[in-house]
Amino acid sequence: MAFAHSEAPAQRPISAKIVVSGGFGVGKTTLVGSVSEIKPLRTEAAMTSAGLAVDDASKVSAKTTTTVAMDFGKLTVDTGLMLYLFGTPGQDRFGFMWEDIVKGALGAIVLADTRRLDDCYAAVDFFESRGLPFVVACNHFDGGTLHDLEEIRSALDVPADIPIFMTDAREPRKVRDALLELLEHILTKIEPATAMASAPPSPPPPSSVAPSEPSFQPWRADNVVPTPSP
Amino acid sequence: MSDDNALQDSGHESFVRPYIITAGRTVGQAGDIPIETLVVARLSNEGLNPDYAAVVDLCTTPLSVAEIAVHIHQPIGVARVLVADLTASSHVEQHGTAASEGAAIVRRLLDGIRSL
Repeated sequence: MAFAHSEAPAQRPISAKIVVSGGFGVGKTTLVGSVSEIKPLRTEAAMTSAGLAVDDASKVSAKTTTTVAMDFGKLTVDTGLMLYLFGTPGQDRFGFMWEDIVKGALGAIVLADTRRLDDCYAAVDFFESRGLPFVVACNHFDGGTLHDLEEIRSALDVPADIPIFMTDAREPRKVRDALLELLEHILTKIEPATAMASAPPSPPPPSSVAPSEPSFQPWRADNVVPTPSP
Repeated sequence: MSDDNALQDSGHESFVRPYIITAGRTVGQAGDIPIETLVVARLSNEGLNPDYAAVVDLCTTPLSVAEIAVHIHQPIGVARVLVADLTASSHVEQHGTAASEGAAIVRRLLDGIRSL
C-alpha cells in the first residue's frame, strides 16, 4: 500500500481492525457497542431477496430486526492507535463484504450462541481457510442452555490451541477480556517461541521463520496511557 | 435496534445516485483501500464539488473510510472512490493500518486495552 511505510510513524495515527462474527442474532452489534466509544455505526449494503429466506429471525426469541449490513465501532487505544471492531453481516453467505471486512484484520472473535452452535460453523470455516487467528466466545443468553466448553469445542471441531470461553456481549468488562484473549492468541500465532513460554521445551525446527523483532518497541514514546473510558 | 442507533447525522445528505458521484468507477486504486484506513484532510476543500468537499470537511480529524461512508450516507465503495480521488489530488492523506505491523502493534493493543 502506498502510504504504509511513510515517514515518522510515531506522529501518524494508525488503525487496527478486529472482526466480530457469528450467526444471525447472536449479539455481534451488542458486543461491539459494549466497548465502542461511539454508538455502533451501520453501513449500507444491498441485501438480495435470496438473503431474506436465509435469515430466520423466528429462531431467536427477542430479536425483531435483521442486520443486513455491517455494524462497527471504534476504541481509542492510545493517542496514535485506533481499534475498529467490525461485525460481519448476519448472513451465512460470504459475499464481498466479508472479504472487505477480513482483509487486513488482526483476528476475529467468533461469537457463538450455545443454543444454535450450527450458526457459527461457517465463520469458523471461513477464518480457518483464511488463516486468520480467532477465538470462540460463547455468549451467555438468559435462559439459554449452558454447554460445557469442551463440548462446544468438540461440536465446532475447533483445534485445542484455539481459546474457547464464556462471555456476555452486554458486559463491557467481559468484552474487554474477550479482546485480550484474542490479542494474546494472535501473539502466539505471530511469535510462537516467545508467547508460548509455558509450552514444553522442544528445539525449534531449523526451517522455522525467525520472528522479526526489530519493530518491537514496547515503550515507544507515543504509547501513552489513554484517557479513562466513560 | 432503534433507528437512532444507526447513524450520526453529519448534516450533509446527498440525493445523488452513488455511481453518478463516482462517474461509474467502482474498481482500481480505490478497491485497495482498507475500510479501517484513517483519512485526514491536508488541503482546504475550496473549489471541490460538494461530495468531495464533504469528505474533506469530515476529515479535519482522522476518520476511517467506513465512517466516512456512514457520514456521507453512501456505500463503502463510493467512499473509497472519493477518498482515492482526494488522495490523488493531495486534498487528503491516508494513514497506515496495523495489518503489516506485526507483534508490536498487538502488544500495544494489549497494553492499551488492559488499562481501559
